[in-house]
Amino acid sequence: MRPEFKRLKTLALAAAALACGYAAPARAADPLLIGYQMPLSGDYSQYGEMFRNAAELQLKAFNAAGGVDGTPVQILYEDSKNDPKEGVNIARKFADNPRILAALGDFSSTVSMAAGEVYAKVGMAQLSQTASHPEFTKVSKYQFRNITTQAYEGPFTAKWIRQTGPKSVAIVSIQNDWGISAAEEFAKAFKAEGGSVTGIEYFNPGNRDFRSILTKVARAKPDAIYLCMFYEEAASALQQAKQLNVKAPVFSTSSLYSPKLIELGGDAVNGVRMASTFVPENPAPEVQGFVSNFKSAYGNAPNMFAAQAYDAVGIMLAALKAAGPKATREQVRDALAATTGYPGVTGKTSFDPQTREPAKTLAKMVVENGQFKVIE
Amino acid sequence: MVANASRVSVAARWLGLAALLFGLIPALLAAIGGGYPFQVAITALIFVTLAVSLNLVTGTAGLLSLGHAGFFGVGAYAAALASTKLGWPFPLTLPLAAVAAAVVGVLVALPTMRLISIYFAVATLGIGEMIHVALLNWVSFTRGPMGIRAIPPIEVLGLDLSGVVGGYYAAAAVAAAGIFAVHRLTHSYYGNALRSLREDDQCAAAMGLNPVRLKIEAFGVSCAIAGAAGAVYAHTASFISPDSFRFEESILILAMIVVGGLGSLPGAVVGAVLLIVLPEALRGIGDFRMIAVGVFMFLSILFQPKGLLGEASAIALFRRQLGAAWRGDIQAGWK
Repeated sequence: MRPEFKRLKTLALAAAALACGYAAPARAADPLLIGYQMPLSGDYSQYGEMFRNAAELQLKAFNAAGGVDGTPVQILYEDSKNDPKEGVNIARKFADNPRILAALGDFSSTVSMAAGEVYAKVGMAQLSQTASHPEFTKVSKYQFRNITTQAYEGPFTAKWIRQTGPKSVAIVSIQNDWGISAAEEFAKAFKAEGGSVTGIEYFNPGNRDFRSILTKVARAKPDAIYLCMFYEEAASALQQAKQLNVKAPVFSTSSLYSPKLIELGGDAVNGVRMASTFVPENPAPEVQGFVSNFKSAYGNAPNMFAAQAYDAVGIMLAALKAAGPKATREQVRDALAATTGYPGVTGKTSFDPQTREPAKTLAKMVVENGQFKVIE
Repeated sequence: MVANASRVSVAARWLGLAALLFGLIPALLAAIGGGYPFQVAITALIFVTLAVSLNLVTGTAGLLSLGHAGFFGVGAYAAALASTKLGWPFPLTLPLAAVAAAVVGVLVALPTMRLISIYFAVATLGIGEMIHVALLNWVSFTRGPMGIRAIPPIEVLGLDLSGVVGGYYAAAAVAAAGIFAVHRLTHSYYGNALRSLREDDQCAAAMGLNPVRLKIEAFGVSCAIAGAAGAVYAHTASFISPDSFRFEESILILAMIVVGGLGSLPGAVVGAVLLIVLPEALRGIGDFRMIAVGVFMFLSILFQPKGLLGEASAIALFRRQLGAAWRGDIQAGWK
């Protein structure tokens, strides 16, 4: 019978811990609260960790500058494990706390949308730094995101490719919600620019052998290749393209923008071109300030994900400030929707009043001699 | 169990359970306040239904199934597609989900039920993955990784159950029906026949039972109940995508019945509630909560190899199943 007692004790301890968790924020000098759900354990915990670091940096600066008319803001973090059912639980938990004015997160579109159904029902603004599913902002008028979707990036790159010459393009894309919309949005825009698409080749997440796909692509003789994937896969794909002597110029989605691409891909990734929102080499003072603060606080350079979260938190805090210290959830939502020209590290951000989709300024980049370079 | 049953009338016990599920627990949840306790309870009840259904196959019949989340997914997608594309209400999508999952279950059971022990486990693992990949890649039908959004909430005969409390009652009703069905099946001659398969299916065949048929039937019923749980999930979550029906979920369901106790119905219920509620209750300790859940699972299998309330030892069963490949007396994975 002893183990039963042990379990009871565990449960009792858990209940006590829970009670403390509830009591602590109530004792503080009534800061304004926002909830942030993110994966802090499990397969994607490194992203959650990055988001939390970036958020803390932004929050500290905001509170040091006086907060919302003297009232500080506090962020409550919850771990979703990138699991939709936990994401929904967290959304309910945040919604139950009347002092939480708005929510940030989650990481993946799936979890963000599952949680979004709850935020839509209870009427609380949700701002995700990364959810790029084309229908995320269609869940309700409470969904916002700080990442330009492929509906924005695709046409930008399509136009850019047409300007540099190529008339036909082959698309290689990862088969997930993001990849499908990236490939389709780009194909649509490229055709609208007067180009032709020789084909879209999808591969399953985790695939590392692109030779059959690349052979098929090369046979169609496209003027250029467009990659919709992440840097791990892209490094393998580009190395195999080099081995197969595929010479067509390569463009890609902004997701390839990571120092890891060069580290993993070596000289095979030279010449790849992509659009990006966040470039640490950008001389703008807010970008340089963020990069040096992040480095001194956490010892490593921020990447695109950290920058997205940093700006998402910044946009949310600016909205809280605009809505004032006595704001309701509805007023915070309206203030968020009114965001125009927020000067962040990922470019100036405005939300479309109807679709709540963000508009940002994009930079053009190329890999040259093992380094990312901004081109005009 | 049997001794108790003679003392307390069976009907009174079922009534007591119903009062607990539909009266006392919701009252307690309402006392805590807010939508969060009810949301966690809905998730727990969906997994209670899943654990109870897997318990019939793995706990009672002794077939180690590693693909249960796949049938959960078939049910969820059947309900989601029927309600969003055809406008079917919950009272129709629920049986549809159960039938769809059962049909898929029986179809895959026909060839795989002739496999034994670890070979069956590996086959179900493959089936679970195949269902996941089908949901992911059959884009024209399932919308693939895009998932299905705006699944209408539950409404039964004009009764609006769209809120968390309504969702709780719907999930509780389905869980109660699942528990009742599995209880009737396992506490009967039929259940004893299944138990005999778990202990020694060749011996059972020698006694005149038809193991393959019994296994297919039990698997079909189990999948039907898992499909019904999928319908509840689809309608309460409003958004589903293939991510919710991965291998990890199959393992989670298996862990629930192992912690609770293989072959025990109350064990499956307790195991499911623990493994859903514990990670939520431990949110207070922050980053270490999943480690704490892991420690809990480790300790429970260390001190209670039969689980909290089990009738069969999980370690003994798994050792027998997984070790079959190295045993000389079994020549191949077929029987």
